[in-house]
Amino acid sequence: MRAEELKGHLDALLLAALEGGPRHGYAVMEALRETTDGRLDLPTGTIYPALRRLEAAGLIAGSWSVVAGRRRRSYRLTEAGARALSGKRADWRDFAAIMTAALEEGRPWPSPA
Amino acid sequence: MAEPSLITGYLTELSAQLPAPVVEELADGLDQTLRRYLGQGLDTTAAAEAAIAEFGQPQVILAAFTRASPARRAARRLLATGPIVAGCWAAALITSRAWSWQVPVEARIMVGVTLITVTGLLAAAALGNQYRSVGRAGTAGCIGVAALDSTMLIAVPLAVPAVAWPLLLAATTSAVRIVLTARTLRPVLAG
Repeated sequence: MRAEELKGHLDALLLAALEGGPRHGYAVMEALRETTDGRLDLPTGTIYPALRRLEAAGLIAGSWSVVAGRRRRSYRLTEAGARALSGKRADWRDFAAIMTAALEEGRPWPSPA
Repeated sequence: MAEPSLITGYLTELSAQLPAPVVEELADGLDQTLRRYLGQGLDTTAAAEAAIAEFGQPQVILAAFTRASPARRAARRLLATGPIVAGCWAAALITSRAWSWQVPVEARIMVGVTLITVTGLLAAAALGNQYRSVGRAGTAGCIGVAALDSTMLIAVPLAVPAVAWPLLLAATTSAVRIVLTARTLRPVLAG
């Protein structure tokens, strides 16, 4: 799946990747890659601005630690982020149900007038 | 492990535009990507090339940061809400017959020039494609908006003979915008 197809859904994916606990940027990308069986064709570097944007919106919170002499920034889901994720999940289920109902093969459509 | 020159050059290109903490975070992610490829048996140059290809070219990263820039978002919000505040002030000035006030021509020209400059700065921040210039224009635009609102709040009540409700409404919209702009400035200044 290409980056442009992800437009509008990246935030939900990032929030979902942080639902299980704090992760740093690279670990978020690894988790997404693993969950999607590597089908996510997204330049790793582009998730960092998205993480910063979610942090500015108060949906995730970042903190620095030092690992092997290098500073590392990790993010955790905030309460507002958890609520936003629930909302995005519900929206996605509705959208998926509508599209599945409309596009399913063999589904009878009303006859044209 | 010494950093391959390809990685150093890549990070230098990002450093020219992005704040140091952001580059530090990217460097950590890139380092982990590089180590994964080295762990797969690639030599240093091939691993660095593969890590950069996976991470994205600097222009791609910079464009993504510019799109997500707090300064750009702040500028777009101010440009979108600007006509509401301007409309309130226009109604207040017309109903108060502002043209009959004893205001020096120089002061009128200065307010007009400032308004045009601030709008230009906000437009540059909203549409620019360089992270650093978007940040500078957005910051200057936000400060300019707050300065314009403060000027109107202080100067107009002194010039107007009687305060009417359109003026109170316009003053309220400006006061609210000053508070919101001040809150917006913190993430904008943080980059």
